[in-house]
Amino acid sequence: MPDAPLLSAQKLTRYYHGRKVLHGIDLELRRGEVLGFLGPNGAGKSTTMNILSGNLAAHSGQVVICGHDLVRSPLLAKRHIGYLPEIPPLYIETTVDEYLIFCARLRGLSSGESKLALEKAKHDCELTEVGGRLIGNLSKGFRQRVGIAQALLHSPAVVILDEPTNGLDPNQIRAVRATINALAERHAVILSSHVLSEVQALCTRVAILHHGRIEFNETVEQQLDGMRVQLLNIDSEPIWERLDGVTNATALGGGNYRVVVDDYEKAADAVCNFAKQKGWKLRELRRDTSPLETLFVDLTCNDTSATP
Amino acid sequence: MIGVIAKREATALFRTPLAWSLLAMVQFVLAYQFLAQIETYLKFEDKLRTMPEAPGVTEVVVTPILGIAAMLLLFFVPILTMASISGERRNGTLPLLLSSPVTSRQIVLGKFFGIGSLLFVLWLTVALMPLTLMWGAPIDIGAYLSGLLAFACLCASYAAVGLMFSTLFTQPAVGAVMTFGLLSFLWLVDWATRLGEQAGLLTYLSSLNHFQQMSSGLLNSADFVYFAALCFSALAIAIWRLDGDRKPL
Repeated sequence: MPDAPLLSAQKLTRYYHGRKVLHGIDLELRRGEVLGFLGPNGAGKSTTMNILSGNLAAHSGQVVICGHDLVRSPLLAKRHIGYLPEIPPLYIETTVDEYLIFCARLRGLSSGESKLALEKAKHDCELTEVGGRLIGNLSKGFRQRVGIAQALLHSPAVVILDEPTNGLDPNQIRAVRATINALAERHAVILSSHVLSEVQALCTRVAILHHGRIEFNETVEQQLDGMRVQLLNIDSEPIWERLDGVTNATALGGGNYRVVVDDYEKAADAVCNFAKQKGWKLRELRRDTSPLETLFVDLTCNDTSATP
Repeated sequence: MIGVIAKREATALFRTPLAWSLLAMVQFVLAYQFLAQIETYLKFEDKLRTMPEAPGVTEVVVTPILGIAAMLLLFFVPILTMASISGERRNGTLPLLLSSPVTSRQIVLGKFFGIGSLLFVLWLTVALMPLTLMWGAPIDIGAYLSGLLAFACLCASYAAVGLMFSTLFTQPAVGAVMTFGLLSFLWLVDWATRLGEQAGLLTYLSSLNHFQQMSSGLLNSADFVYFAALCFSALAIAIWRLDGDRKPL
């Protein structure tokens, strides 16, 4: 089944002290996909990742990983998960090699397989020189890489990374991005990040979480080019999809629209002509230079425009 | 899988100065007391010879030493177990175990045997000391072995109780206080009855009572049942608590 999702989550809800923090999260992830998980702090990203990795039970809903229900057959499902929590789960009194061997054995690899996995993971995460050093003596960047190595060690189908590039210098960030890109060929990856450019560069799909709801879940290409339009004196809602070069549009209130385009030049001309033809006043038309950021701010900053 | 977790736990324990300092201090206190007991025995040796059913060297030296070792366990075990789960929770390493294909039972038993390996080393050092008497005096091997068995039972059930509190509380210190509290309560619970002769439930609950019975050479299945029950119920609660976050409510 090449097309079956490696991970599917349905209607996940979770309460904390009687407060609902997740309102029915639905996610699906296939091989080759890298899902960027965005959202302001406290939106429920880490809670969702905790549930997906089997650390926390959802109050309702279901997580299926490679065909195994995470609650009903956790041992089978968890063989296919690699998880890097926000704080890398490192034992500071062990050496890198000892730690990674322990992790590999914990995931059910035999002692021979563990050694092979160790060499591969160290190579992939550039840890070869520090294998014999105590984790407690490593710098933050190295620790983060050990955390990533731990998640990839058993070559899991689903890799869940909570802020993987946190605390790394620019060179290390590039290296980690390259690792994640290489991973994506054979695995499904979910990563959360606050760096929007990173998500744009790495991910094939973006999900934006706000107040425990997924407000947006689309592939990145669809959102890469866009523009902002403000129209005044309009008498009816324009049918954006009919315009040349326009993919779709979202009303932001007050005559403001966020327009997703596949061809900016064409779309801009079409909008101008359309407004003139209808006799509407085109107050503003500008190209979105960072569409993901605009989208993020629109969805999570201004609550009135996010929930029309 | 239990072995993998136990091995890591034991390695972590033996890498810290904590384990070694505790082992050293127990040795120091026991050795001092051991010499004192021998001194006492030598002082009364002539008198004891004239008595018809006089206590031998085992009763005068070995049994009290095991009693002191048992008392030291009350202080020793809470410190040893306090961070075993709560420390992982605080350091953020628990997600590694929880997201791996292992059950809560395997995690708890792995931790239990890991701590057990350090307690086994302690047990060995305690066991070796009385053997030095064999150069000069006959030891009652039966009493010696049953005393060691009683000490082993105590080690296992105390470790289980400590582990239980380590899963119940996030702060290691709270776990240590609770472990020490419960263990000393169980140790002393039958003092109330010693004045009033009313044996029964309180006497049965007292771990001191069971320990003394066993270490005096009286092997009774009731004592085994007591320690086994304490051990298993504590481990069961630990497993239940660790499952708590992961099982749907």
